[in-house]
Amino acid sequence: MREYNIVITGVGGQGILTAANLLGWAALHAGHKVRVGEVHGMSQRFGSVIAYVRFGEDVYGAMVPEGKADVILSFEPVEALRYINYLKKGGLVFTNARPIPPVQVSMGLATYPTLDEMKKIVEEDFGGKFMAFDAEKLALEAGNIVTTNVVLIGALSQTPGFPLSEEGIKEVIRISVPPKTIDVNMKAFELGVKAAKEMLGL
Amino acid sequence: MAKVTDIVLWDKPGEKVLLLGNHAIARGALEANIAVYAAYPGTPSSELTDTMAAVAEKAGVYMEYSTNEKVAFETALSAAWSGLRAMTAMKHVGLNVAADTFMSAVGMGVEGGFVIMVADDPSMWSSQNEQDTRMYAKFANVPVLEPSSPHEAKEMTKYAFELSEKFKHFVILRTTTRSSHARGDVVLGELPEEIKTGKRKFGKFKKDPTRFVDIPAHSRKFHPLILEKIEKIREELNNCPFNWIEGKEDAKVGIIAPGLSYSYVKEALAWLGVEDVKILKLGTPFPVPYGLLEKFMDGLEKVLIVEELEPVVEEQVKTWAYDKGLRVPIHGKDLVPRVYEMTTRRAVEAIAKFLGIETPINFAEIDEKYEKVSQIVPPRPPSLCPACPHRNTFFAIRKAAGPKAIFPSDIGCYTLGVLPPLKTVDTTVAMGASIGVAHGLSIATNGSLAEKEYKGGKEKQIIVATIGDSTFFHTGLPALANAIYNRSNVLIVVLDNEVTAMTGDQPNPGTGQTPHGPGKRILIEEVARAMGADFVEVVDPYDIKATYETIKKALKVEGVSVVVSRQPCALYRIGQMRRRGEKWPIYHVIEDKCTGCKICINAYGCPAIYWDPETKKAKIDPSMCWGCGGCAQVCPFDAFEPMKEGE
Repeated sequence: MREYNIVITGVGGQGILTAANLLGWAALHAGHKVRVGEVHGMSQRFGSVIAYVRFGEDVYGAMVPEGKADVILSFEPVEALRYINYLKKGGLVFTNARPIPPVQVSMGLATYPTLDEMKKIVEEDFGGKFMAFDAEKLALEAGNIVTTNVVLIGALSQTPGFPLSEEGIKEVIRISVPPKTIDVNMKAFELGVKAAKEMLGL
Repeated sequence: MAKVTDIVLWDKPGEKVLLLGNHAIARGALEANIAVYAAYPGTPSSELTDTMAAVAEKAGVYMEYSTNEKVAFETALSAAWSGLRAMTAMKHVGLNVAADTFMSAVGMGVEGGFVIMVADDPSMWSSQNEQDTRMYAKFANVPVLEPSSPHEAKEMTKYAFELSEKFKHFVILRTTTRSSHARGDVVLGELPEEIKTGKRKFGKFKKDPTRFVDIPAHSRKFHPLILEKIEKIREELNNCPFNWIEGKEDAKVGIIAPGLSYSYVKEALAWLGVEDVKILKLGTPFPVPYGLLEKFMDGLEKVLIVEELEPVVEEQVKTWAYDKGLRVPIHGKDLVPRVYEMTTRRAVEAIAKFLGIETPINFAEIDEKYEKVSQIVPPRPPSLCPACPHRNTFFAIRKAAGPKAIFPSDIGCYTLGVLPPLKTVDTTVAMGASIGVAHGLSIATNGSLAEKEYKGGKEKQIIVATIGDSTFFHTGLPALANAIYNRSNVLIVVLDNEVTAMTGDQPNPGTGQTPHGPGKRILIEEVARAMGADFVEVVDPYDIKATYETIKKALKVEGVSVVVSRQPCALYRIGQMRRRGEKWPIYHVIEDKCTGCKICINAYGCPAIYWDPETKKAKIDPSMCWGCGGCAQVCPFDAFEPMKEGE
């Protein structure tokens, strides 16, 4: 495989960099050349955050070029739209469905688009597929809201043509999280897998 | 995925691991048997410093969080004078702070290897300007190494120490955001015995005033010496393992790619499907090794230099070509933008234009469609965290000082106070500048209490400066001494959250902790009193009313007032509570009491509070509330309350 590109987006503090790091390690264990791109410092403080995970034979830079993301994995719906220019034609957007309205929206200085509007843009203008599901609800079901990122990774692992094995990712999660939270994380992963299978009709 | 600090100390040569560029550099320094490391944190360099702090004791390295970059530089430099391998790290603007020592001491050279890691931030993701450290390197005649991948960053760090020792000269290791904050596969090398056993290394300083005292008689000898050294280094770099020629040997077209640009060029060529090209991969953008350049240029009919920011390599190559009488067209900044960071797209577009071919995808079409999207995506700039004590302090300042007051501020998380609804930041320039600017504005608008004819301006201009604890110790101190001595009329509020928060909660003199154990804590109020401030008080910003009243009182004082607003960084505090499994109160809105007046949103602006357009009431996202209770204090209708168990 020459390259596989994932863009992870959301709001600072949602566990985006952790998710990127987990996927990076899973790709390394699978024998790929890996690049993960992040931004630290002020940009992380409850602002919009983007991270890149790339692996394969032909990856060099840490940023996915515009028009080249196989998947956008978004922790918050409008953040998927903010980086939609990265999506390749036929790419997939997987997003947590629960919005976090920015302060500007609450102040009445901006409006927040609906999920239907977002789906229309992604599918009609960018030739991608848009799927939203309540990952936070599933994380709570698994036992802890902080596992939302693992629910999303579980869902990601089911996308057609995804090059990393479910078992490989689970192994990295197992050795990365605090031992007493392994079960909760595994459950979160499985719930993500199940949700994706339903959405994708697998 | 083991802990980074464990991986960096792993005695597993040959093991392939995933490391952040900054972590890889820390590993490289350990593989090089570093003895002393000193730095002041600054994004994007901070993780290198934090990693060194985490492993220092185990590896037998002396490590300190210095109060600023100049002091850090001097600590590490003196160790290198004493024959030890030493390193300092900073962000690009940090080199401005250290520049005085850097420029003066370069002629003195070093005994042990001395590496200055400088992290540039093209596109300014977390910085106040966009400067290219390679210009400084050229200015000071110091060689600069620039990695193209995390693994190379580690290898280069080792080489940098060797190069420095061989020529007894400074060496800069320059990264950018996208190399410092990129993770990649890194192969671990051997750790020296002394690092593995944690043996602390000590040096010996040999006195030599003709070398270490820069009176004019001595320094006149330095400059020619520096120039001689840099040309010898230029010669040496022809054989540097990070410089090479690749691609088609008899190609007529050449591309020169320094540092990280090499990775973008490789990717761009693969994407474009271009193979008939020769590449000069440059790990040393300054000085460009002319021998290798001459070999590369042989047979070429045109050349493109793909470099980020300033035309540092371009100018060297063009000068060399002119002197050689070479008439090959050399392109660079005419095709590659001079501002903001390099990307694969930029490399693709420059190379396509250079070769007269089409780009593989239609970027203009993506831009056009995205333009439409950007109209409907609401902005989400970073904001002060929930429960951030600074929000409360700013809220109290605005209320006490009124809208006509001027608010000079400084570098830190609190610079975000510029955004609505707080809008309590009117100027931010550089570390420590809040106090200097406040003083200057006071002199300009009110005059100085030291002036015989002091009458004050027509109407007293209220000036309230804000500065963080770490920034106060960094460069706030001399400015405060200046304001007090010269008698201006200002209020300085020190936002003391007891850590250097923006760069990742590093300790500072106000925290008192060092990586080796407790240091001595310095209290800001005691410093201000000792300096002779006219009014000094400490407040708790979680008590907004008391903070407001103290500020009101301070504003009545003629002269320099200092209010220390102290409450730990919320992000730091919550992180620690989470680790200990502790809980904190979570607030909610009592719907019957909320009148929808929006003060909590339009004046206070906690990111956990949002507006529900259906009920026309404020709401709190429980997953984001960190329990400071500020909302309950600013709400005129008592609509905020902590949730009870089970709610």
